Amino acid sequence: MLEVNIRKRLASFELAPTFSAGDEIAVLFGPSGAGKSLTLQAIAGILRPDKGLVRVNGLTAFDSSAGINVPPQERRIGYVPQGYALFPHLTVAHNIGYGLSGLDRRQRAQRVREMIGLLGLDGLEERRPRELSGGQQQRVALARALVFQPRLLLLDEPFAALDEAIRSTLRQELLDIRRRTAVTIVLVTHDLVEAFALGDRIAVLDSGRILQEGQREEVYYRPASRRVAELVQSRNIFAGRVAENRPDGLHIDWQGRRVKGPACSWAAAGQAVDFCVRASQVMVVRPGRPASPGERFNVFSGRVVREDLGAEGYLVYVRLTGSEQPYDLQIELPIHIYYRLNLDTDKDVDVSLNPKVIHVMPTCA
Amino acid sequence: MFDIDLSPLRLSLQVAALATAICLVLGVALAWLLARRQFWGRGIVSALVTLPLVLPPTVLGYYLLQALGRRSLVGEFLEDSFGLRLAFAWEGAVIASTIVALPLMVRSAQAAFEAVDPSLENTARTLGRTNLAVFFTVTLPLAWPGVVAGTALAFARAVGEFGATIMFAGNIPGQTRTMPVAIYDAWQSGDAALANTLVAILTVTSLLSLLVIGRLLRVSRW
Repeated sequence: MLEVNIRKRLASFELAPTFSAGDEIAVLFGPSGAGKSLTLQAIAGILRPDKGLVRVNGLTAFDSSAGINVPPQERRIGYVPQGYALFPHLTVAHNIGYGLSGLDRRQRAQRVREMIGLLGLDGLEERRPRELSGGQQQRVALARALVFQPRLLLLDEPFAALDEAIRSTLRQELLDIRRRTAVTIVLVTHDLVEAFALGDRIAVLDSGRILQEGQREEVYYRPASRRVAELVQSRNIFAGRVAENRPDGLHIDWQGRRVKGPACSWAAAGQAVDFCVRASQVMVVRPGRPASPGERFNVFSGRVVREDLGAEGYLVYVRLTGSEQPYDLQIELPIHIYYRLNLDTDKDVDVSLNPKVIHVMPTCA
Repeated sequence: MFDIDLSPLRLSLQVAALATAICLVLGVALAWLLARRQFWGRGIVSALVTLPLVLPPTVLGYYLLQALGRRSLVGEFLEDSFGLRLAFAWEGAVIASTIVALPLMVRSAQAAFEAVDPSLENTARTLGRTNLAVFFTVTLPLAWPGVVAGTALAFARAVGEFGATIMFAGNIPGQTRTMPVAIYDAWQSGDAALANTLVAILTVTSLLSLLVIGRLLRVSRW
């Protein structure tokens, strides 16, 4: 169990993250410069906050009101910084055994052997870090941090330096190691795919503040604000005004159109709201077919203005009829659907927004 | 040729070795402080340490006489309390050489410490090792090549020290007449043959010393 509530004045902004994590992998997600690494350093005890509280599995590591600041040596928190910080002058075995100075030689060798086995580093004991591949370096860093059975493991962008091909394998390995060691992990990343693949819980950090914290599906599909929606790459984010709040759903005026949204407890008529729809959840109405029940709402006509082929499918840009914008909607389509719909640039198309997939957010002042 | 008085050579090596040893300990400590710690007066300390590189050695010798000479406060106190005389004694030559050689040691070691990635030290601290242990197992080994280079430079400078030494320690045969002083003395008294011989001996000895230092403090590669 981790509890963080700290403040630290920095040159460009105030770092003031507040979040917690249980026995799981918690992801600290945010853009570069948001203060993610500094937050990890504060938890590890390398960076001293101005004030606040850091509590880790029963240990009060930092508490400004009680004058507590446990030095990093006594926190027993495993820390793997970005780039791994392996000691270049020490062998793999000595790197891994570095934190075991309290044990005698025999116990130390035993623990190092266990770690080498756990992480599949057999045969590399006498190598120096520069003689290892990126993936091997990462595993040595993990072994070094895990060898003294830390109460918490902090990973700063652990996959950033690796090839895309090896990343998913190593992610699986990390999940596997986590299962076997049952260690609580806080992982920092700016990569949304990674955050989603690894995080049971995701905390979104931006300019030093946690904007949202919750289960990953919640953060992904129900962002708390426009900024979070942008950060989780919700491609369709709109500003509208509530026309009516009915029990069966919100009616929103949006650029001269009426959009029917989900039922909403807080929005009042006349209130400005933001709403978003993930690009993969916009439906294209197949011409000449009766609309399916999910397609009966919010059907708008438009024209395809651009198509980008990505790794998993097409991203289709649609400008709605009468719009002045370059485009209004982005639609992500798997390749087989794209071909079945027979889409092409400059073709007319009808799209449908199911109220269930529309997420409404209060507009920030 | 074989009746040459070799006491200047012995004295030079003794003074230079001692001065280098002091430079190593003091210089590494100062270099680490300047590279890793922010403190009040850091800029002044840095400038003071470097000053001997800029000032003529005779000026340093003059300062040393004023500060530690027999009629100075400190000099008087040392002589009265401990019977220790620095001016015009071989110990004074050690002090002169140390001050002149220190900037080379500090500059070189400071650059080496600054080149060590602080995240290595920070990570080492999270692994439970004391700050002192981290210094000796991570910082110093990684900065070692720079420290060795600084030591070699300091030794070379100490062996060649002349100006501050002759001002502060003088030219007393067998006590403060180091090789550079002896060479100057021989040349001044018209003994070109002796000057030639001493110059040759000093050159060869310095070369050998540098080779031995490089060997002793072997730079490990990783």
